[in-house]
Amino acid sequence: MLELKPMINALLRSKIGAVLLLIQVAITLAIVSNAAFMISDRLTYLNQETGYDEEAIFSLSVSTFDPSINLVQQYAQDERDLRAIDGVIDAAMTNWMPLSGSGSSSSMHLVPNPEIGTGVRAAYFTTNEHMLNTLGAKLIEGRNFYPEEVVHADNYGKLPNTTIVTKDFAEELYPDGSALGKVLYQGEDAVEIIGIIDTIKGPWLNDSRPANVVIFPFNLSQPRTGFLVRTEPGKRAEVMAKVEELLLKSESRRVFYGIEGLDESKASYLARDTLVMRMLVVLIVVLVLVTALGIFGLTLFNISKRTKQIGTRRALGARKSAIVRYFLIENFLVAGLGLVIGAALAVLLGQQLMKVFSLPSLSFTFVLASAVFMLIMSLVAAWGPALRAAKVAPSIATRSI
Amino acid sequence: MIKMNNINKVYQTEMVQTHALRDFNLEVEQGEFIAVTGPSGSGKTTFLNIAGMLEPFSSGTYELDGIDVGKLNDNQRADLRNQKIGFIFQGFNLIPDLNLYENVEVPLRYRGIKSAERKKRIERCLELVGLGARAKHLPQQLSGGQQQRVAIARALAGEPRFLLADEPTGNLDSLMARQVMEILEEINREGATIVMVTHDPELARRAPRNIQVVDGQLADFSLYQGAPNKQQTAGDIAARAAARAAEA
Repeated sequence: MLELKPMINALLRSKIGAVLLLIQVAITLAIVSNAAFMISDRLTYLNQETGYDEEAIFSLSVSTFDPSINLVQQYAQDERDLRAIDGVIDAAMTNWMPLSGSGSSSSMHLVPNPEIGTGVRAAYFTTNEHMLNTLGAKLIEGRNFYPEEVVHADNYGKLPNTTIVTKDFAEELYPDGSALGKVLYQGEDAVEIIGIIDTIKGPWLNDSRPANVVIFPFNLSQPRTGFLVRTEPGKRAEVMAKVEELLLKSESRRVFYGIEGLDESKASYLARDTLVMRMLVVLIVVLVLVTALGIFGLTLFNISKRTKQIGTRRALGARKSAIVRYFLIENFLVAGLGLVIGAALAVLLGQQLMKVFSLPSLSFTFVLASAVFMLIMSLVAAWGPALRAAKVAPSIATRSI
Repeated sequence: MIKMNNINKVYQTEMVQTHALRDFNLEVEQGEFIAVTGPSGSGKTTFLNIAGMLEPFSSGTYELDGIDVGKLNDNQRADLRNQKIGFIFQGFNLIPDLNLYENVEVPLRYRGIKSAERKKRIERCLELVGLGARAKHLPQQLSGGQQQRVAIARALAGEPRFLLADEPTGNLDSLMARQVMEILEEINREGATIVMVTHDPELARRAPRNIQVVDGQLADFSLYQGAPNKQQTAGDIAARAAARAAEA
């Protein structure tokens, strides 16, 4: 008992309200599907695996101002003190903190300067043989640094000649086979790859290659440096609370700062992206609500405008269900056409966003999913008014107003 | 065709109880043409609504074509309205966004009649009221009289046993009123039972049987007998039927 044809004819004859709603639905879909896609893109980015047990690791930085302090000895003492704390698994000195947004990077080449050959950019950090254990990094091939390979110095006079790299970096530099045992050049200096570790992320999560990381056995003891510490599960807060006081005992003429969990460093690094994502969510919710209200309002308006017509239809034999169906189908037609147009708009908008903001190209799945969601929403919004329409008494038909 | 027994209709608001119909009794035979008159507020419209199953009654029994209406649920009443009753309203009640063809089609669609059969019936009924050539027009393009003829076509398309007309000429000038009345008489001659509510005494006089509703109760005036008379009974109807047979 569908009455599509007369319904469509009727819609075409009084189309202003329907057309306005259709435009609203179309624009909403275009924006919502793109925003949903961006949110999902952000979420993938925000929730990417870092390769660390972020809740168990923390960092701290130190500034030493007194030039009379022997930094090499002092930092070695600090590392020993850190490892001796109850609940600490391992600790290592390092020049940068993962996921913090600040660090060093350089191009690593297959041939020494000035020859021209393949180069792959990587974040690097200088540290010692305790780093892998501190990070919880998994060695896939090769071995860890021997203690005697680590260069302890306060200048660049002597450089290390071995390195451990992530598999992501190794595969990019040597796409055709294992990088283990191969040599790479930083400038003119050659280092041998002695170990390959599973993926860990460097300082910059928004880098195009966040997992290109190279580790050098180089305990560079400068006045400003940092330590990474890994604790047993649940002991981190306790250790973090007392670490400063403890390290100041061996040498008090210095300042500790930036005592921060790895998860906290990551959160502050990602704060802006998180904010943008939340704003997008709010935007979507508001848009969808406004559209839902629009549908609700238009259906209500249509119904109050057509009370007499509804009563007449009831008098002529329409069951209540036929009235509900009528308004739901009418709404479905308007929303459906709006969504088809909106889908095309969404794709166009996606292409523009891709061009202007270099976003990844909109996946059609998002358009489809958003359209299905909005269709359901439009039916829900029209449901209440339609039920109200069904309650119109057939006796309205004989009322002469 | 219609058998109403002690029908009461009470409208209840917080402050007052209004008895719109009180112990209302009426029998209508197949093929009758009855005019229902009465002052405003007398209960005419309530009677019409109950007869057309447009609203429920408070007590009593109502049989339409042998079916006890009081026992039906909402869907069954809707179906019964659709199958047995053709409505003609004072305000025509055409659906403004549908053309004439689609308007006449409305009750047929609710009955689930196939498209080809619908087409046949719609064309025949529009032809009958003289609007066959204007099927694609919208109601607003027609005069009041033409609109009412469309409404009649709509009422007839379902081939109802029983036509209920509510002031069918109330919104029309006298010429158009006469045309509409002639169509109704024609339909009646072909066998349909018609109950017409009107406040127009001239129009009422054209109907073979007049009843008057006063204060929610029935006063019967049969023009056959030339004088106002007592409450309607089954005996009267039988007598009148016999008289009519004798006349013929």
